[in-house]
Amino acid sequence: MSEVLLATGAIGTDTSVPAASGVRQFWRRLRTQRAALVAAGVVALLVLVALAAPLLTALEGQDPTTYHPSLVDSARGGVPIGPLGGISGDHWLGVEPQTGRDLFARLTYGARVSLGVALAATVVQVAIGITLGVAAALGKRWVDQLLSRFTDIIVAMPLMIMSLALLAIVPSSFPRPVLVALVIGLIGWGNIARIVRAQTLTLKELDHVSAARLSGWGTWSIARRELLPGIAAPVITYAALLVPSNITVEAALSFLGVGVKPPTPSWGQMLTAADVWYQAAPQYLLLPAGALFVTVFALTVLGDGVRTALDPRAASRLRVGTGRRRESKAAEGGRA
Amino acid sequence: MRQPSVTARRVAAASVSLVLAAGAAACGPEDNDAKGVGGDSTPHKGGTLTVLNAGPQQDFDPARLYTSGGGNVPSLVFRTLTTRNRENGAAGTQVVPDLATDTGRPSKDATVWTYTLKKGLTYEDGTPITSADIKYGIERSFAPELSGGAPYLRDWLVGAAGYQGPYKDKKGLDAIETPDDRTIVFHLNKPEGEFPYLATQTQFTPVPKSKDTGTRYEEHPVSSGPYRVVRNENDGERLVLERNTHWSAATDAERKAYPDRIDVRSGLDSSVINQRLSASQGADAAAVTTDTNLGPAELAKVSGDQDLASRVGTGHFGYTNYLAFNPAVKPFNDVKVRQAISYAIDRSSVVNAAGGSALAEPATTFLPHQKSFGYTPYDLFPAGKAGDPAKARQLLKEAGHPNGLTVTLTHSNAKDFETSPEIATAVQDALKKAGITVKLQGLEENDYSDKIHDVKTEPGFFLAHWGADWPSGGPFLAPIFDGRQIVKDGANFNTGQLNDKSVNAEIDAINKLTDLDQAAKRWGALDKKIGEKALTVPLFHPVYKRLYGEDVKNIVISDWTGVLDISQVAVK
Amino acid sequence: MNGFTGFVLRRTVGTAVTLLAISVIVYVVFYATPGNVAQITCGPRCSPEQVHQVARQLNLDDPLFLRYWHFLQGLVAGQDYSTGTSVQHCSAPCLGLSYQSDQQVTQLIWAKLPVSLSLVAGAMVLWLLLGVGTGVLSAWRRGRFSERVLTGVTLAGTATPVFVIGLVLMIVVCGELRLLPFPQYVALTDDPEQWAWNLLLPWLSLALIEAAAFARLTRASMLETLAEDHIRTFRAYGVGERSIVGRHALRGAFAPVIALNANNVGSAIGGAVLTETLFGLPGIGQELVHAVNVVDLPVVVGMVLVIGFFVVLANAVADVLYAVADRRVVLT
Repeated sequence: MSEVLLATGAIGTDTSVPAASGVRQFWRRLRTQRAALVAAGVVALLVLVALAAPLLTALEGQDPTTYHPSLVDSARGGVPIGPLGGISGDHWLGVEPQTGRDLFARLTYGARVSLGVALAATVVQVAIGITLGVAAALGKRWVDQLLSRFTDIIVAMPLMIMSLALLAIVPSSFPRPVLVALVIGLIGWGNIARIVRAQTLTLKELDHVSAARLSGWGTWSIARRELLPGIAAPVITYAALLVPSNITVEAALSFLGVGVKPPTPSWGQMLTAADVWYQAAPQYLLLPAGALFVTVFALTVLGDGVRTALDPRAASRLRVGTGRRRESKAAEGGRA
Repeated sequence: MRQPSVTARRVAAASVSLVLAAGAAACGPEDNDAKGVGGDSTPHKGGTLTVLNAGPQQDFDPARLYTSGGGNVPSLVFRTLTTRNRENGAAGTQVVPDLATDTGRPSKDATVWTYTLKKGLTYEDGTPITSADIKYGIERSFAPELSGGAPYLRDWLVGAAGYQGPYKDKKGLDAIETPDDRTIVFHLNKPEGEFPYLATQTQFTPVPKSKDTGTRYEEHPVSSGPYRVVRNENDGERLVLERNTHWSAATDAERKAYPDRIDVRSGLDSSVINQRLSASQGADAAAVTTDTNLGPAELAKVSGDQDLASRVGTGHFGYTNYLAFNPAVKPFNDVKVRQAISYAIDRSSVVNAAGGSALAEPATTFLPHQKSFGYTPYDLFPAGKAGDPAKARQLLKEAGHPNGLTVTLTHSNAKDFETSPEIATAVQDALKKAGITVKLQGLEENDYSDKIHDVKTEPGFFLAHWGADWPSGGPFLAPIFDGRQIVKDGANFNTGQLNDKSVNAEIDAINKLTDLDQAAKRWGALDKKIGEKALTVPLFHPVYKRLYGEDVKNIVISDWTGVLDISQVAVK
Repeated sequence: MNGFTGFVLRRTVGTAVTLLAISVIVYVVFYATPGNVAQITCGPRCSPEQVHQVARQLNLDDPLFLRYWHFLQGLVAGQDYSTGTSVQHCSAPCLGLSYQSDQQVTQLIWAKLPVSLSLVAGAMVLWLLLGVGTGVLSAWRRGRFSERVLTGVTLAGTATPVFVIGLVLMIVVCGELRLLPFPQYVALTDDPEQWAWNLLLPWLSLALIEAAAFARLTRASMLETLAEDHIRTFRAYGVGERSIVGRHALRGAFAPVIALNANNVGSAIGGAVLTETLFGLPGIGQELVHAVNVVDLPVVVGMVLVIGFFVVLANAVADVLYAVADRRVVLT
């Protein structure tokens, strides 16, 4: 999935969110949107399932790694024995072909990895993006040039494929989920950095920021008190879209053979293993695919809601395209 | 040889990384025979055979190919001194003459081998094939530019160890003599009764010196077989072969060459290959694959479909997947620990992870099940179907680990169902019951390959596999267990680093035998003797299941290659 | 500097700098990657002596900076190489020879590029049609049930990895319904009709994945425009809703859609690797993955540079289109 929605103006940017009253207002607006609330509920439920995975599987009496060779038909490639992929009182969602591992347990544990990796990767992306974006916008001209070029290079490299090589460099003792999260994070920060830089450049020219600067505030104080609140809206909105995108990136890495390592389950890994079983054991594919869909759908609707709540008027004042464009405007302003 | 790419995923037992650039073969003795689907089952000449493969037919140069028995596609273009018998089952493991009039005449101690070429042999341009061309073909396989082949010529020929090939060393190899145009004599540095097997490899293909273009020869190698290369795109990504009109069936008893044209396509996802073969639409009705097995999911579908099931060729190639121990690493220096793991292993879990009982047979011997290898059944540490954790615990206790043990199992992250995570987790799960906690160390493919083949970095406990360069115990046991083949500063395959005088002596003794049946029996006995040392835990032998298109006839699957021989296939 | 010439000049220099930096990064990363390149190239059962020979032949024993220097030399002045029997010349800009296939990397790129471009070009048309189409519809039906359904459908594409969508499509469309042949790349120059038929399914799979982003982008931009004051004025003057949505609101979505499209086209040249792999299309992405796996450095560098070039190019084109669409924008 593309990660450029904000860069390209899909998400409005509001430079006038007042920092103090924003939070209360935000909640009030969010509460009025039924769809977003339902989505928030679904997301909360998913997170809860992920957190409670050991508890839930204990209730079922299974775990995600134990093999049950007797539950699959070895002569037929290991297809689960019994209707609907071996669904029974013991195995609520059936068992995995070939191994007979419990699918309910793998799905719930998989949620931990998939959601955890995606969230952690988003945090990394946002952190790098904000740091470099703000630094580029506030720094001297050469700092800006350097960081912007660097961002261009990162965006121009096929990093997902390069990560095949990158992942091979890291010793295998390094915890894999952390590594995958880091790699996805390092792949996907380019656009967010561009957005933040452009937004910061615009904010810098606004009256209250200029006033602060004139009254002798340091760069750090300006960044913290005047800029961050203004960046928050687009960043939060974009982050809500990054999370589902990151889940699918994790799946793609699994497909390329460098995802989270077995026996740890993840939805991406399940999908990768399951696609060939589409005809012989459809539920094996449909379970992770369905879980992924619900998650992405809920997060997107929630993201929409957050965006609307942050900026009900869709930021008509600054309805602009890329960061570059905003930057050129700011530059013009600077010269004027 | 080049590594299979990650993109060729799910190529179950197909990417036999040590053997066959194209060797593997396919149908079982039980459902072989020429049987067309419906109607006329007699094979006729004509038509185009399509080959749908995952991996490209890279380095299509006889010097560079690493094949078992000359390979499948390569054997259509490259004739060799000897070749494999193109018959179903066990008969197919025999060596038969190809360019030569017999399988070779050994001197008394089997150190000198003499061959005479048949009369009337020509290349695709009608020029005659001479023994000097065969000598030149072998010599150029020593050029560093054309690396990739098997190590036997270098190890066996007198004075070949430092030879740099004809580009740097114009003098040539003295170990090969060509007294006249039809005679070629090989001088070996030790007795090798299995030399006729080696002469099936593509390095024994004649190459006319005047047509040699070095590394570019693969773009258009000069054919001595029934087909010539008319197109070779991007290093074997697509290969188109057409009938070589100068080839004569009168000098070639083995290749049938029914189709007029053969179109080899590659870069396909393995599940797509099987979907296409099962749908059998258009050109795919006359299609086969030489490198892609049915996967477990597809097998589940095929087994419920009469029509599809009748289009599956089953075969066995000499190949063993095993757990390797490195006794230089604790606690695997203790034979009791190794035995405990042998007892604890749950082969039914492992077999399921490898694709189920139709795609893998549990192994308790290192040698494959075929007679030609000298297969002698034994089960020294009986684990039954699902492992014997009680016996394992007891052995661990004796070894001083009453509270169990924590070990690291190294495997690759390749998606090959061989040394891959699926198998590793099955082992992990089985050993858990015996109180052995297994930590998995999954390495990227290249990293894995480097580590396990370097004595300095070899892990203590890892997944490994070995395939036959020809169907005999020699190339199966010697590289793995001959102490003199431990390589200190390069790729080492003696994973247990075994250097046992009696084993070494027995290997030498068997190599002197030119009676291959006699040799097979002794290899079998040696296998059992080595098995007692518990340096490996044999896990399973793969079974090849290959789907073919509706119009494909005359299926021949030998125990040598285990897959259908495309030199026998007809599409009309 | 001003005007279009200045823009082109600045961008050309910028592109060259970016690509050089990328090549340095690739060299450094691969220097650190495990995998004995000489052993992989030579074969698993090569003796230590043979492996050394190969290493010497490929200059693998040279220090990193020297190897990079050779690369730059080849780029500027070309390179001679031996096939064993003769000496060949790889003319500048020479990206070197593949360790694995001994082919010139530039030739390899020319062989692979048409495949990737075919895939991306066709998919682009489809994702724009699908994406913008559903985007307009959902802006039109905003807040209604039908909009939720549309959002759901497009998101299903995004939420499902391409290897799942592609395989299922292939099994159903080609295997069961037999509506289309199993995709197999046919060059446009060989047979345009077969080219299109064979690529239809890959195009569709890729487009389904990408369409959601365009749908959401179109919808968002249109809603923004619809909220603007002048639209309200139009409404007040009685301009029809269809005309407002069709003419004015859609125009608002133009610039962002172009930007997103530029970004996607650029990255899809190499990023469609999963699609290429699944459908067996021998393009840039598939080749790159293979080269990474066998540590074939010259091929990796070559392919990465091609991909980088297209990303940079696509961004430049987007900027030009912006400037055309909106006179206020100054090209930098």
